[in-house]
Amino acid sequence: MTDTSAARTLEEAVPLGLIPTVFQPRLEALSSAKSWMGWAGYQSAVVIENMEFEYFAIRNQSTLFDVSPMHKYRIQGPDAEAMLNRMMTRDVRKIRPGRVGYTLWCDEEGMVIDDGTLFRFGPDDFRLCCQERMLGWVLDAAWGFDVQVTDESDTISGLSLQGPTSFSILKDAGLDAAAALKPFDLAEIEPGLWISRTGFTGDLGYELWMKNADGLALWDRLWDAARDWGLKAIGFEALNLARIEAGFIAAQVDFQPIHSTLRLGRGRTPLELGFERLVDFEKDHFNGRRALLQQRQKGLRTHLVKIELGGFKPSNGALLYHRKTKEVGHVTSGAWSPTTKRNIALAELKAPYGGQVQDDLWAEIYVHEEGQWDRRLVPVTVQTSPFFSHPRARATPPRPF
Amino acid sequence: MSNTTQNFDAVIIGGGHNGLTAATTLARKGHSVCVLERSSVLGGMMSVGGAEAPSFTSRLAHLLYNLNPKVERELGLRLNARNLTTVSLAPNGEHVEIDGGKARMMDGALHPKAVAFATLQTRLQRFATLLSRLSLRTPPKLSGSWTDPETFGELMGLAGIGLGLKGMGKVEMREFLRALLTNVHDLMVDDLDDGPLAGAMAADAVRGSFSGPKAPGTLFSLLYRLGNGANLRAPVGGMASAVAAFEDAAARAGCVIKRQSAVRSVLVQGDRVHGVELDDGTVIHAKAVLSSIGPQATINLAGIQHFDVEIARRAKNLRAKGTAGKLNLLLKARPEFSGLPAPLHQARLLIAPSSDYVEHAFNPVKYGSFSEAPTLEILLPNAHTPETPQTLSAVVGYMPHDPPGGWTDALRTKAEQQIMAVLEAYAPGIGDRVQHSELLTPTDIQTETGAAGGHWHHGEMGIDQILNVRPINGMAHYQCGVEGLYLCGASAHPGGDINGAPGRNSALQALKDGAL
Repeated sequence: MTDTSAARTLEEAVPLGLIPTVFQPRLEALSSAKSWMGWAGYQSAVVIENMEFEYFAIRNQSTLFDVSPMHKYRIQGPDAEAMLNRMMTRDVRKIRPGRVGYTLWCDEEGMVIDDGTLFRFGPDDFRLCCQERMLGWVLDAAWGFDVQVTDESDTISGLSLQGPTSFSILKDAGLDAAAALKPFDLAEIEPGLWISRTGFTGDLGYELWMKNADGLALWDRLWDAARDWGLKAIGFEALNLARIEAGFIAAQVDFQPIHSTLRLGRGRTPLELGFERLVDFEKDHFNGRRALLQQRQKGLRTHLVKIELGGFKPSNGALLYHRKTKEVGHVTSGAWSPTTKRNIALAELKAPYGGQVQDDLWAEIYVHEEGQWDRRLVPVTVQTSPFFSHPRARATPPRPF
Repeated sequence: MSNTTQNFDAVIIGGGHNGLTAATTLARKGHSVCVLERSSVLGGMMSVGGAEAPSFTSRLAHLLYNLNPKVERELGLRLNARNLTTVSLAPNGEHVEIDGGKARMMDGALHPKAVAFATLQTRLQRFATLLSRLSLRTPPKLSGSWTDPETFGELMGLAGIGLGLKGMGKVEMREFLRALLTNVHDLMVDDLDDGPLAGAMAADAVRGSFSGPKAPGTLFSLLYRLGNGANLRAPVGGMASAVAAFEDAAARAGCVIKRQSAVRSVLVQGDRVHGVELDDGTVIHAKAVLSSIGPQATINLAGIQHFDVEIARRAKNLRAKGTAGKLNLLLKARPEFSGLPAPLHQARLLIAPSSDYVEHAFNPVKYGSFSEAPTLEILLPNAHTPETPQTLSAVVGYMPHDPPGGWTDALRTKAEQQIMAVLEAYAPGIGDRVQHSELLTPTDIQTETGAAGGHWHHGEMGIDQILNVRPINGMAHYQCGVEGLYLCGASAHPGGDINGAPGRNSALQALKDGAL
């Protein structure tokens, strides 16, 4: 008898398999694809219905994506700013309360540990959202500072509402106070509901953060308000295509977080990922600063760049060549962009290619069609601006669509 | 509060022997140097304590047996010390006198294993001499390409050691590589029966460390101690006179020495040190700051925000649990050890009757308690005369650094009684002769000297904390990341004991970096 109760307790404490997020009951009901994946231990949708429909909803109406599995670390206390400023490459002091900043952090050798968004609720109150599990590292970075670190990954839920009609949905849901939010602004629109004008699509969009218990009610509220505006629940695949169009990098894909690499030299510095503007050498010491200074002096090993390719076949994994002969890099994320009608990709090239040398670059794309492999050599041009960019993403107050 | 400002080329934090060595080394190259000592007396681990402390002339460390000869020469130390032999005491009276490679019984006859011991000692001495070549240079970084001048220099240094290794011949080289990381116990009992002779070697290998002789890597710490010739020397007049010699060398070189000058913070701006601020508000500007107080304390003084997260974590996790305590006795009359001829009372006396005994003495300390049968390294500084005052100075192994509930008076009394019981067994009647006693636990040593964990070597001399990871990876080349800030104490390479090489090497590294 005691045994049974002990077993039940254990199962409750350590659930087997993927954990449903608070939104899983709604996602489950909407899902016809039944295509799920694990994301940080949670059940997460790859596709809800159809990847193409979901992608076009991002660009033409609105979408809801469950971002609850993101790791969320609350950092509070009198030294919170100083602690984060020592951890991050950018100057955290410039992120004012009520703002969100995209940021990277490095190990002592200047290698990127992860990137993420830093939410500043108040002078001494931050939340770091990121892809990789980071509690141990954040605690190490906090040691010696007067701060309190709380892992909110399992207590705070998040919904990403993205698309041209996303503000109209908020408005009809009674959350029109979000009208004042400029990109990267953050505000507590209702008690316990924080909304930030952030996202991973490069378009108009918001992220909504709440306690787990409030999650389903908010979902239903948005869903009810969206009747005239078009709202689709989406999975990872559609979002991934949108983020490539926006030119955003993804951990484990476009760079390898240094703590998850075993082999020497697989880490990358923020400079190599093209984020020199997010590295503030003028502020006081930050983790990896000395190594990054040295690298800036000695030169980068690689360049991560946006490229456009000839043809229309997605280039994921393609090798890149200089003058069609010398192998100089590879595509890290490639896709045909339906909105811009371009063959686009993020690619890593060995320096100086992609940096000083940008001409005469080629990609070798392998295409598999019904049992037959074909190889195409297509021209590559390096791009400096995002593939997809729309003024509605920045207009404040936002347009209705 | 005096808010005066002063300028020096270099400031040294801590007036222990390494701090004074670093100061003298810099001053002799023509730099202005200021040594800042928190307490009222110099010496660190050699210190005899302030006015409140009872007058024992060797209150903490009591021997010079690993002082680097080059340091002694370069500093021009005026030391008056006598050479000692060692007697490893046996409970049955069959003591063994160890004099270099010779092992004799009390009647002058050779120890039954004297030949094996001489061979072993010669071999260990040869290994130690080879390794000691590493002591007088910054550990190799080997981070650059071999064409890089610094890396090339390091490679040449290592090549010298490699050639030395080759020069020993195939059999010896193989033995060196086999033995280097092994434990001292196995090596001893392979060649010597486990008894006072093996016990003496085992005790010397682990004195001050958080390991028994059966732990891997303990042979290395023995080799470290043999690296400077294994000459045992006791300064005439106790360690107080050795402190005076270091101070004298520093003064002659022109160093300014300030006592009762505790540093509140190391001033850092733009990733460079600018000096220090004292507790009384005095600011002393300097181009370089050399700190002998260990990585964690140094980080705390400069501010943790100036250091990388990994460095701070490693400093926090530095293995530094002190296990050596010190018992000082003031005696009414000269003690008499059973079966020990009168002249040999002037030797270094070891109570470590077997390697197993040493291992068993270590076991309780793992759990924060204290052995009923501790190892002792005893000196009787006035044994040459029957006159008083007579004192006994003993380094006690092993004492826990953090017993559960702390070092209460009751626990101290109990520990002292246990040590006295061991002494009584070897020197009957000694208890009745005690006039005054003082027991210093690792906790007391930490309080008095600032050494992390009260550790004899300011940090365990384990294989994970030597050479280019001493004290920690990222701070192993005396540099701390912040420009102009250096570690110069025993926590740095090559390590502990009254050695001086950390201070000297650190000063030379600062000069090489152009920090001054």
